[in-house]
Amino acid sequence: MTIQTPTPRISAPAARPARKRSRHVALLLAGATMLTLAACEDDKVDAQAFPDLDSCLAAAKEGGLFFTEDDCRTQFAAAEKEHLETAPRYASKELCEQEHGAGACGGDPAAQQNQGGGFSFMPLLVGYMMGSMLSRGGGIFSQPMIRTPNGYSTPNGNQSFASNRGSARVPGNTFTRAPSTIGKAPMTSTQVSQRGGFGRSATSRGVSGTGGGAARSVGG
Amino acid sequence: MQKITVAERPGWRDRAAEVGFTFADMGGEPYWDETSAYRFTLRQIEDDIEDPSTELHDMCRQAVAHAVTSEEWMTRLEIPRPHWDFVERSWANGEPELYGRFDLAYDGSGPAKLLEYNADTPTSLYESAAFQWLWFEESRDAGTLGPNTDQFNTIHEALVERWAEIAAQGEDIHFAADRDNPEDFATVEAMAWAAREAGLGAHFTALADIGLSEDGQFADDRDRVIGTLFKLYPWEDMLRDDFAANLQPSQTRFIEPPWKAVLSNKGILPLLWQMFPDHPNLLPAFFAADLDAARRGERGDFADAIALAEPLLRRGHVTKPVFSREGAGVVITENGHETERAPDESYSHHPQVVQALAPLPDFDGFHPVLGAWILGLRCAGLGVREDRTRITHNLSRFKPHFIEG
Repeated sequence: MTIQTPTPRISAPAARPARKRSRHVALLLAGATMLTLAACEDDKVDAQAFPDLDSCLAAAKEGGLFFTEDDCRTQFAAAEKEHLETAPRYASKELCEQEHGAGACGGDPAAQQNQGGGFSFMPLLVGYMMGSMLSRGGGIFSQPMIRTPNGYSTPNGNQSFASNRGSARVPGNTFTRAPSTIGKAPMTSTQVSQRGGFGRSATSRGVSGTGGGAARSVGG
Repeated sequence: MQKITVAERPGWRDRAAEVGFTFADMGGEPYWDETSAYRFTLRQIEDDIEDPSTELHDMCRQAVAHAVTSEEWMTRLEIPRPHWDFVERSWANGEPELYGRFDLAYDGSGPAKLLEYNADTPTSLYESAAFQWLWFEESRDAGTLGPNTDQFNTIHEALVERWAEIAAQGEDIHFAADRDNPEDFATVEAMAWAAREAGLGAHFTALADIGLSEDGQFADDRDRVIGTLFKLYPWEDMLRDDFAANLQPSQTRFIEPPWKAVLSNKGILPLLWQMFPDHPNLLPAFFAADLDAARRGERGDFADAIALAEPLLRRGHVTKPVFSREGAGVVITENGHETERAPDESYSHHPQVVQALAPLPDFDGFHPVLGAWILGLRCAGLGVREDRTRITHNLSRFKPHFIEG
C-alpha cells in the first residue's frame, strides 16, 4: 500500500515528533552515598595501551579490536601533541626524575624554542593509551603516557598503570585532558586551606536550620 | 485543560518508596497527588505552552544581553558590583545554560502568562521527568488512561542530550546541593544520572563541604579539584558568600553559568516588560520604587508604561522581592486591599517588584501553576503544581498531566 503524503512546503515549520514523551527515564533515587559509589564503579571504558605507534599498527592489523590502523596514527599524533601541551614541567632534571624515575625525563622542546628558562624539564612520552567511548555515544580518545616511579600514568594523573602495553577496562576519567594552563587537573588531589565558604544563603534572613545546609529548599 | 478524576495506581506509595521518592508525602500532606490529573489537548500543549516558553527563553536571553552591559540594570538587579565582570564575561564567552523552569498562569484558553522564571535552581525535576512519566506509562498500561493519550515530557532525554552538547565526553562534573534536603537532593540526583547517561562522570559533594585549595581552586569533600560544578544553590547567594571573591579566580566552570544571576531575579520581569511591552505572554511589571516615583508625579523612564498599566495594576497586583524562593515574601493586593500574603517574609528586605495579577484558574478549590521546563534553548516538558492558596509554595501538590485530543 502506498501512502500519499503532500509535498512539504518550504515554509512549513520543522516537523515535530509525534510522541511528546521520553522513551525512558532514570527512575531510581539512591541517595548521596550511592550516587558517589555508582559514579566510581560504573564509569569504565575499554582501553588499550601501546609503547609506540608500530605496536599499535601491528595490533590493528590483526583486527577484532575497537580501533583501526588509521586510529593508531591519528591518536598517536594527538597524544604527542597533548604530551607537549599537558605534561608536567620541572625546574631541573633532578626534580623531574624524583617524580618520574631515573632516565624518564628530558628537556622541554617548547621551552628551548622560547628561551623561556625556568620549568624546562618534563617526563618523556613512553606510550599512549586509547579508549573507546563508543558504547557511550562518543568516539575513540587517547592520552599520552608518562613514567611514574612505580609504573605509568597519563598527564592528568587520575590513574596509574603497571605497564604501557595491554588492554584493560579503565575509568573514563583516565581520558580527561590535563589542563595546559594553571592549577591542577579536575579530580586530582589538592591541599585544601579553607572550607565552608558556601551555603550561608546570604539573601534570606532568619532561615531555619543551622550552619551551611539550610533546611529549606532552594527551589522555586 | 480539565482536571479529571482518575483511579490511583494501587500500591503507588510502595512503588515510590521502592524507587527512593521519599518525599511523596511532606509535612503530613500528600505532595505527589494522583487522585486526579490535568488533561490538555495537543494544541494547548504545543501552541499555548511549548512554543511560547521557547520564545520566552529566547526573550530572556535578549534581556541578559542587555542587562550585563548596563550599569543601570546590574545595579537594579542587585548584582554586587565586584562581580559584574564575572557575570558579563560568562555571557560574552557564551557559557551554555543547562535548564530552567517557567512558572505560567494558564486556564486552557488565552495566552499563558509568565509569573516568574526559575532559571537558576529549579527543583521538582525528578517528579516532573521521572515519577510523572512512570505514572503515565503505568496508568496507560492499566487502562486508566486511553490508548490515544500522551504526556508532554521529554525532560529526561532532553537533559541527556543537553549534557552531551555542553560537556566533553568523560568530563567530571561535581554536583553540589544541601545533602539534608531530600527534595533538592532528588533534583541533583536526577541531573547526575542524566549526566552519566551522557557519558560524563558525576560526583556528589555537599555544598558546605566545598573547600578552597592553596592554588585557589575549589575542591570537593575528598580534596579533589572541582573542574565543573553544578550547584543547586542560587547565584545571588554564591555572590555574597565567603567564597564569593574566589569564584572568578578559581577558573571553575559553573552550571548554571554566572549570567543566570540576571534571570533568577524577579527584576527580570520589569526588564522584559520594558523590552517587550504588551507581549501576550508577559504581565506588566515594574520596580516598586519606580511605581512610587510615578505616582508622586515624577517623570522617570517608566512613567508612560506605568500610566498605561495603572488600571490593570489597580484591579490586582502581586508584590514580590527580587530574590525569593518558594513564594516567600509574596503579597497579593486587589482593588486596594491586601487579599493574600505569604507567611514567610525572610526575603522581604530586598527591593520589590510589582506585577499585574494574573488570576489563577480554580479547579475544585485548587489553583494550578504550570511549570514549563526549558532544557538548553527549548521547552521540553511540563509539571503542574497546585495549591489551595494563590501563592504556590514548597508544600503545594504536584499533579500529573496527560495529553488527549
